[in-house]
Amino acid sequence: MDYVLHILVMVCLYSILATSFNLLIGFAGLFALSQAAFYAFGAYATAILSVKLGLAFPLPLTAAILFTAAVGILVALPAIRISGDYLVIVTLALQVIALAVIVNWHGLTGGPDGIRGVAPLHFLGLPLDTPRRFLPVAALAAAAGFLIAWRLAHSPFGRALRAMRENEAGAEAVGKNLLYMKVVVFAFSAGLAAVAGSLYAHYFTYVGADGFTIEQTIYILAMVILGGTGNLWGSVAGAAILVVLPDALQFIHLPVEIADKSRLVIYGVLLMAVLRFRPQGLLAAAAAGGTRGALTPLAVTQGGAGLLDPIAPGEATLSGAKLARAFGGIRAVADLSIALTSGRITGLIGPNGAGKTTAFNLLTGFLAPDEGEVTLRGRPINGLKAHRIVGAGVARSFQDLRLFARMSVLENVLVALPRQSGDRIGQVFFRPFRVAREERANIARAMSVLAFVHLDGKAGETADSLSYAEEKLLSIARLLATGAEVLLFDEPLSGLDPTTLTEILPILRELARSGRTVCIIEHNLDVIKELCDEVCFLDEGRILAIGTPERLMTDPELATRYFK
Amino acid sequence: MSAPLLEVRNLSAAHGKKPCLHGIDLSLMPGELLLVLGHNGAGKTTLMRTIFGLHRPSAGQILYQGRDIVGRRPAENVAAGIAYVPQGHGVFRSLSVRDNLLLGAFVVTDRARLAPRLDVVFGLFPVLKERERQIGGTLSGGQQQMLAIGMALMHEPAAIILDEPSLGLAPNLVERVMETVVGIKTAFSTSIIMVEQNVRLSLPVADRVAVIKTGRKIYDGDPGPLGDKVELMKLF
Amino acid sequence: MSLFLQLFVNGLIGGAHYALLAVGFGLIFATTRIVHFAYGPIYTIAAYVAWVTAGPLHWPLPLAMLAAAMVAALLGVFSYQFLYRPIEERQGSTLVVLIASLGLFIVLENLTGIVFGTGGQTVAGFEGGIHFIGPVFFTTVNVWQIVSVLILVPVLAVFLRRARPGKAILAMTDNAEMARIVGIDTVKVSMLVFALGSAISAVPATLILLRDGANPSMGFLAVFIAFVAVVVGGIGSLRGAVAGGFALGMIESLGLWQIPTEWQNSISFVVLFLVVLLRPQGLFGAARR
Repeated sequence: MDYVLHILVMVCLYSILATSFNLLIGFAGLFALSQAAFYAFGAYATAILSVKLGLAFPLPLTAAILFTAAVGILVALPAIRISGDYLVIVTLALQVIALAVIVNWHGLTGGPDGIRGVAPLHFLGLPLDTPRRFLPVAALAAAAGFLIAWRLAHSPFGRALRAMRENEAGAEAVGKNLLYMKVVVFAFSAGLAAVAGSLYAHYFTYVGADGFTIEQTIYILAMVILGGTGNLWGSVAGAAILVVLPDALQFIHLPVEIADKSRLVIYGVLLMAVLRFRPQGLLAAAAAGGTRGALTPLAVTQGGAGLLDPIAPGEATLSGAKLARAFGGIRAVADLSIALTSGRITGLIGPNGAGKTTAFNLLTGFLAPDEGEVTLRGRPINGLKAHRIVGAGVARSFQDLRLFARMSVLENVLVALPRQSGDRIGQVFFRPFRVAREERANIARAMSVLAFVHLDGKAGETADSLSYAEEKLLSIARLLATGAEVLLFDEPLSGLDPTTLTEILPILRELARSGRTVCIIEHNLDVIKELCDEVCFLDEGRILAIGTPERLMTDPELATRYFK
Repeated sequence: MSAPLLEVRNLSAAHGKKPCLHGIDLSLMPGELLLVLGHNGAGKTTLMRTIFGLHRPSAGQILYQGRDIVGRRPAENVAAGIAYVPQGHGVFRSLSVRDNLLLGAFVVTDRARLAPRLDVVFGLFPVLKERERQIGGTLSGGQQQMLAIGMALMHEPAAIILDEPSLGLAPNLVERVMETVVGIKTAFSTSIIMVEQNVRLSLPVADRVAVIKTGRKIYDGDPGPLGDKVELMKLF
Repeated sequence: MSLFLQLFVNGLIGGAHYALLAVGFGLIFATTRIVHFAYGPIYTIAAYVAWVTAGPLHWPLPLAMLAAAMVAALLGVFSYQFLYRPIEERQGSTLVVLIASLGLFIVLENLTGIVFGTGGQTVAGFEGGIHFIGPVFFTTVNVWQIVSVLILVPVLAVFLRRARPGKAILAMTDNAEMARIVGIDTVKVSMLVFALGSAISAVPATLILLRDGANPSMGFLAVFIAFVAVVVGGIGSLRGAVAGGFALGMIESLGLWQIPTEWQNSISFVVLFLVVLLRPQGLFGAARR
């Protein structure tokens, strides 16, 4: 019986580890494989504080969480610069280094012998030194850990995390602070793993380095992948399956040595099989996340009013002065000056490689200009990070759309709404009612934005199930949702058939009529003629002519340039 | 009139979900230089990649010497006599000029054929002979383009697909490239499809022109009427 | 001074071992862009195959090495054919391939442990002599380690430059799309580099078996070192992989002058961490994506 209870304790510990790891890899998309190191730091911090300093619960636990969260933030720093394969390798290396420190720092960690004699937890004077007595604590901690992970994952902050996972530049373009999100999610993931580590230390009253190897990280990874990345219940199920399943094998009486190894073989085979045959995991992630319940038609009706607050037309808004930017000696943009006006649609045309998209990147902070200044209503905004510029009122779309493919249409818009208190982690946990109230209003607002582009009927579908034309509409809706007054569209109409064109053109006109400043890059000159009040002709990184579409398109010199 | 060497019928293709080509018809006669014009994003490159087998069409037929070649791998098309010169200097940047040329003849298993082919290419581009040992990536842009064309000639193709050979070249070099293309056509009676954005310099050398706009063919015929740039701009 | 000389020679010997590991791994990585993590346990298995054949079966050493190379090549091709390629064809990212490779890593490593036991295995009778040059000593196996690099690397270089399949490998490493355009079957080339790269790992595997013995967990450090050496030397360059391997060997060995022995294995990881963070395009070789 005790054995079964022991297994259950282990399921609890691993479910904390798996859910916390899932925050990192499943929600934030950061494949940082050093979870066992966080686990180890939690365990060792607890053991050291409890044995060497004689501190009693809950001090070691608290300290372990804080210390490991701080380590997590340190690991977040490389994750800001590198991604993909390199992040995996670097974090594996970090884990090896961490383990080497633990094994070699004899004085503090007991070296290869580990630390013995960690005090068990006590409850009302009763030592929790058997699986039966410990299980309630483990279950409680697992439940608490799960709730924290759940709250984080299914808050507006978690939505922003998933947007970052889907497309980093896309998330930045709707005003999300990637640095802040990465730091927070690493701190939480590491802190939660430390809880599991701390419990481990109290439960076994011993910590040793061989419990926290790379194999442990892969073990936890297998649980997350088996249960489905981005699915917290899946991680619990994955933990339960992978703890219980191999232990069931032990009834075949294999030698301990071989049983341990066969267990790892099973994890590896499962990991490969899932990735090979069912990459979404056994339980697929709920696509629409936590907002599905709110998706009743009722939510659609109200709140649409303030969607396009009128802005006075004819005022100078965004302007760039003498912008220059070179790539490896080639000047993509040289001495480019442009001034946009509210209520007008300005077209950017020019031959291939003229510097149109680079101009957008410079105006929106996605690239820093080598020279020149960008101002919004007279205030300089260059030097600001891209997400700050979105907040200031300048937003852009991408040629390749950069939608958040595995999120619902509604979420794609919701995540772009400005000034969400649910984006701040403190508010998520300490002002839940305010966040929930705001969220209801935001859903209504997002629905009205979707209605504006005629996508409200598809709100609950995932973005990657849309047709290409609908994707284009969604990218417009997302841009609109940022609330920015200056909207830069990079080829919003390319690849669309004439019928869809006639659907989108009025939307763009409506935006200008409401006083938004609209600028579009476009190659289809019919569209430019029909849509734009003013056209800038770019070539060789500078503006060669500004005028009405009619004038520019009948200029023989420009025509020759256009066709070289 | 003889049968076309290469014929595209009602071809459609998409990038993921984004449709790029809508029912394109195109034919290339033996010994003809077909110029394909169109704007950035019009679908020209996708069309060429689809013909060559680097991209799968969603519908339609591609006939080469009367046989449907949809679904064939590039290697098979090369062996059948089609060469493709991709956009932006299609060379192996880390390998020598000579190795690049020999790789151009990768499908030629008969080694005895290589030396005469090298001589042909070197005759056409003496500068490549001079720089035989130089690393591809260190050549100038114009020389890289010549190398790329030279590689395509190495296996004696019946048809060459040239994707924007003028891209990134100075105007005098573009003229040089156009002359070369015409030279190849007349010397080896090779059929050529050339995608271009440089209308001024490519139009005079074309036998026939097709214009693509947002994935559809909007013009196919004599180059003459397209000479007027303002008219052309209206067409776009 | 004599300590320095000894450490220098040790660095050369260790570097030779790392250089071959890096060459095999780098060939696969540069050509296919797959981080073949299971390269580690395949190298381990090669060592055990050499142990079985040279030890209990008493095969002559070259034959044992050949058997090891063949098993390794087979395992390499299998991992590509049945794991990586299906994932790639389903448009899985290189990241998914890497995670799957971690799964294969853990399976192969633990299977090795189950079959051969966790204890180390050594081959008796191949210790060879100890040689002295002045104050510096080394063993016969050490000589073979250096000689194996001196033979294999030039042979491989000539193969890549002269042979038709070798040129196809170079072409694909340079630009996979262009390789397809000139008519190279890139799937076949991938299988070839998986076979070749894994087979190469059997040489350092056999020699390390003779020097230190084999144990089931030796693959992790091996694949890591190989990865670091390739990243340090610059991806896609044979010379770079060799230089990276020797550089790591030297750093590890000369590091002992100042750093306690128990930290020796961590040095490579710290080097990796710094290199990837500060100079991801490598120290030598040209950066190419």
